[in-house]
Amino acid sequence: MIDKATPSPTAIGRVVATELKPATPHQFHFWTATETTVGIGAIVKVQGAGSTEQGAARVVYGVVTDGFAYSDLATPLHDVVGAEGDPARAADAPTARQEIRYWTAAVLRQTPEEPLQPVPLGQVFLADDADVAQALRMDAFLYSATPTAIPIGLYTSAGREAPVYLDADFLIGPEAAHLNISGVSGLATKTSAVEFLLASIFAHFPPHKGRVAAVCFNVKGPDLCFLDQPGNLSDEDRRRYDRLVVPAQPFERVKLYAPLKADGVNLNTLRTHPDLVGDVEPLTWGLQEVVDYAEVLLNRDDIDAKADAFIDFLRDRVLGRTFDDGFGGTHRVQSFADLDRLFRSIFDGLEITAGGRSDTWRTHHIATMRKVRNRLLNISTRCKGLVTDDGPASDLPWTEFEDRTVYVIDIANVDPLGQDLVFARVVSKLREQLERRELGVDAVVVFVDELNKYAPGDGPDTYVKKMLLDISERGRYLGLVLFGAEQFRSQVHRRVVGNAGTQVFGRMDMDELATPGYQVLTPATKSKLATLPIGELMVRHPHFTQPIFVRFPKPPVLRGRDGVERFPPAADVPFDDAVVRQLVRLDRRIRPNQVKDLIADREQDDVRRALAATRRTRPDDPLAYFRKVLGSRVAAEVPPAAPREHRAVQPLNPISDEPY
Amino acid sequence: MRLAHLADLHLGFRQFDRQTPKGTNQREADIAEVFRRAVDDLLEQQPDLIVIAGDIFHSVRPTNAAILFFFRELHRLRTGLPASPIVAIAGEHDTPRSTETGTILRLYEALGVDLAIEEPRRIVYPKLDCGVLAVPHQALAQAERPALRPESGGPTLNVLVSHGVHGGLGEERGTMEYGGAQLSRELLAPEKWNYIALGHYHTAQSVATNAWYSGSLEYLPPNPWGQLQDEAAQRGTRGGRKGKLERTGKGYLLVDVKSARVSFRPITPVRRHLDLPPVQAAGLNAKELDAQIAERVSAAKIDDQIVRLLVWDVDRTVARDLDHAAIREYKARALNFHLDLRRPESQRGAGSVAGAGVRRQTLTETVRDFLGRRPLDAELNRESFVKLGVDYLESVAREESP
Ligand SMILES: Nc1ncnc2c1ncn2[C@@H]1O[C@H](COP(=O)(O)OP(=O)(O)OP(=O)(O)O)[C@@H](O)[C@H]1O
Ligand SMILES: [Mg+2]
Repeated sequence: MIDKATPSPTAIGRVVATELKPATPHQFHFWTATETTVGIGAIVKVQGAGSTEQGAARVVYGVVTDGFAYSDLATPLHDVVGAEGDPARAADAPTARQEIRYWTAAVLRQTPEEPLQPVPLGQVFLADDADVAQALRMDAFLYSATPTAIPIGLYTSAGREAPVYLDADFLIGPEAAHLNISGVSGLATKTSAVEFLLASIFAHFPPHKGRVAAVCFNVKGPDLCFLDQPGNLSDEDRRRYDRLVVPAQPFERVKLYAPLKADGVNLNTLRTHPDLVGDVEPLTWGLQEVVDYAEVLLNRDDIDAKADAFIDFLRDRVLGRTFDDGFGGTHRVQSFADLDRLFRSIFDGLEITAGGRSDTWRTHHIATMRKVRNRLLNISTRCKGLVTDDGPASDLPWTEFEDRTVYVIDIANVDPLGQDLVFARVVSKLREQLERRELGVDAVVVFVDELNKYAPGDGPDTYVKKMLLDISERGRYLGLVLFGAEQFRSQVHRRVVGNAGTQVFGRMDMDELATPGYQVLTPATKSKLATLPIGELMVRHPHFTQPIFVRFPKPPVLRGRDGVERFPPAADVPFDDAVVRQLVRLDRRIRPNQVKDLIADREQDDVRRALAATRRTRPDDPLAYFRKVLGSRVAAEVPPAAPREHRAVQPLNPISDEPY
Repeated sequence: MRLAHLADLHLGFRQFDRQTPKGTNQREADIAEVFRRAVDDLLEQQPDLIVIAGDIFHSVRPTNAAILFFFRELHRLRTGLPASPIVAIAGEHDTPRSTETGTILRLYEALGVDLAIEEPRRIVYPKLDCGVLAVPHQALAQAERPALRPESGGPTLNVLVSHGVHGGLGEERGTMEYGGAQLSRELLAPEKWNYIALGHYHTAQSVATNAWYSGSLEYLPPNPWGQLQDEAAQRGTRGGRKGKLERTGKGYLLVDVKSARVSFRPITPVRRHLDLPPVQAAGLNAKELDAQIAERVSAAKIDDQIVRLLVWDVDRTVARDLDHAAIREYKARALNFHLDLRRPESQRGAGSVAGAGVRRQTLTETVRDFLGRRPLDAELNRESFVKLGVDYLESVAREESP
């Protein structure tokens, strides 16, 4: 993986120390020739006095964090005088002044580590592959019997190039986990970087750590809709893929889930091109799934223990049970319509039976109940297509997640409340299944773009925020790993960001860099960050004592924006065509007219239900199954009412005595 | 519009070896009597529509007495309520086993009863602005089921009448009879109907706000004692509030179809099922247990009732030494007195599923057990029927063994 050190390298600089600027165990200064390839972020090696043959020489690795240039000029005025006040003539000065390139480097590693001493005043070399591995303490996990190295990009500086690896034990757990990436829109390549890193994880996740999958929430347009389609890669990108030993191919196994639109048959996603829509699984949930996560719907603007208590009551005592409302009504709530009926009868009951004098029912205040009712019924109208009375049409395969598979959940077009719901339920379910070791994989990377929306630094403690906090604090033991992305790190909850073992930065905004979170960076590093080119990232990782700059290739997948150009989304089709399309997907032999005749005067939700059942069951003969679930028609008949009603019933004949 | 919902009459069902003065089986007469009382109440309540959700007769070929009796009672209803249609469906018990086996149910068409015996029927009553989809057991048991949905553009009110097992109902106490067609919420779609009248489960019970089993009119198998417990459990969850649906014992349902408000019409039983408080016999000798049994019996009015006394952990020797004369006397007083002695766990043998190392039932035992319980045509003698079955089985077994 790593090229062996080139023989007899030449020194490019020399460590210097003055009383004013001494070398310390963690920092040193060196000078180079004026013409040098060294720059901010370059990794260098200091070879102390004493020859390498003795093996006792102290070797120090450092990363350049600042640079200075100056000459022996006493004051700027001397230069003005020398050029006789004409800048154009300054270059013609008879004697060239002595000029110096002077660099500050932060120590990455010293060998031997003990005793920790100031950096020796030795020669400075550019780091090669092996040096980079040493400097970043990657040797331990790269060359071990069970390597855990995951390539994240190439260190390219000073004309050198070396792969940089993250340690899977610190990226996916259990030692540390999670990754956070931030940077300005469009230039920081946040989404792209995560896509690339997932490809890299799938290629390099060590076998001894088991099976790994990813769950990605698509929250922006078509961003993650085409992860299974190849993108345009340049030769340079391909070379980088080779260098990092990551296949330059789109994800082999991608499962896409999208809720339906309000019509219940068209998919609410931008991946609706006829060639691709077939792979999209509808995601719909029922009352049970919603009530299980009803707190999500409430805590958005207010936390209310009373509402929680009432929701618990609904869950434990009402849902799916025979329930007496105390006003003479018996309920069995299994759908939103049932729930509405229950609420109406409680409110009516309070009004009529109690004469409006009582405003509590079974210790629950009417205001609390109204609030819960509104939120629950609200979601069923606002997220129609995600939330239906029919229950799950298809859900994620909670017990059979597959190895190296990306599960994309497209909620880009869903109401924010619905997004929270999807989010809360998916992540909670993942956690639950991982805890029971029943998910089918040992680790899951959950990618959340726009993390600032879900775990903002200010505002109330929402259910989703608490959940994200919980994952970031405990997920690493479970294999539940959060990859979060946002433009401004400072807007995300501190503990969510802080718990990310690996921090990645793309091109940053200057104002953002001025916030307290970036104080540790030198001005030079900051200005590099503020001008970082596309495709370059700064990485912090537990093994790296200093942030490191890397380059990564463009992700191997079709960019969302290009995807919708190459595969333009289809217009919504009429109900019956959408049904035909979904059935044909299950069985190419089905003829559209067969289906259309079958559903001609059926109610849409019966058709949807039959369709959902067919999709769930995946029968050998989908049409026959669909027809069966739909059921045959029973024609109406009107009994000969008039004659019969007036027909006198025959008197009983005498043999029909009372038999008992 | 008010609808009366009855189900599971099981006319012709016989039980216990007790005769009426007229010489019919006493239980058969009891079961007829409660239906007669229900008809009395119906004539008073005057519902606009009467539905009977299956299992009118306990068997495909009921006794002549049962056939005649039902005819007389329907006649009474038709003359008393000439404008109220009666819709009846066949249940699991009275569905002909093959199409060739005729069915006595057709007889009642002469009275103008709208029957669905094998095929589903959608019957519209323009006067009531009501459509009834009547779906008998057979229509649900076959592969191609009808769509249980109201007709689009049909009448305003829509009622579904059907017969089958909903969800896991009755599993807990073994009160759901095996063999019913499977029903589910998806299949029934309660939200589409004004009311759904179901038969098969013998305890009155809702499966959706507007979907109910009316229950039977008498305590019938399976496990009548479990049905008593079902009722107790329902009372337990309902709290003692005023205005609740009062439901003790058996009866039928009166439904305001438009609002799906359901009220229970209890029918006074002919006799009661008494489940005496169980006795724990561990550590008791025969004398002491005798005393306890006597105490339980004297605390209840067992005469002419159907009585069970469960006694736990009775040692074989204790059971042998009980005062059998006294027990015979209880048996004589009650219509049926079932002293249900249970052996201690360690002594339990065949038939019990609990406990490790328990002997499994032999095939013969299983068959004997099944034939002893399966619904039979009334004219068949169960004892000889069971014997015949077991003989067949054993002769096959003899042929097979070398
Ligand atoms: N390694 C790379 N080399 C060159 N171009 C790249 C690279 N990675 C991404 N790009 C390009 O950079 C652009 C921005 O990338 P991306 O959408 O990932 O940014 P982002 O930070 O997620 O933006 P936003 O905040 O708007 O979501 C894309 O057009 C992408 O093709
Ligand atoms: Mg992005």
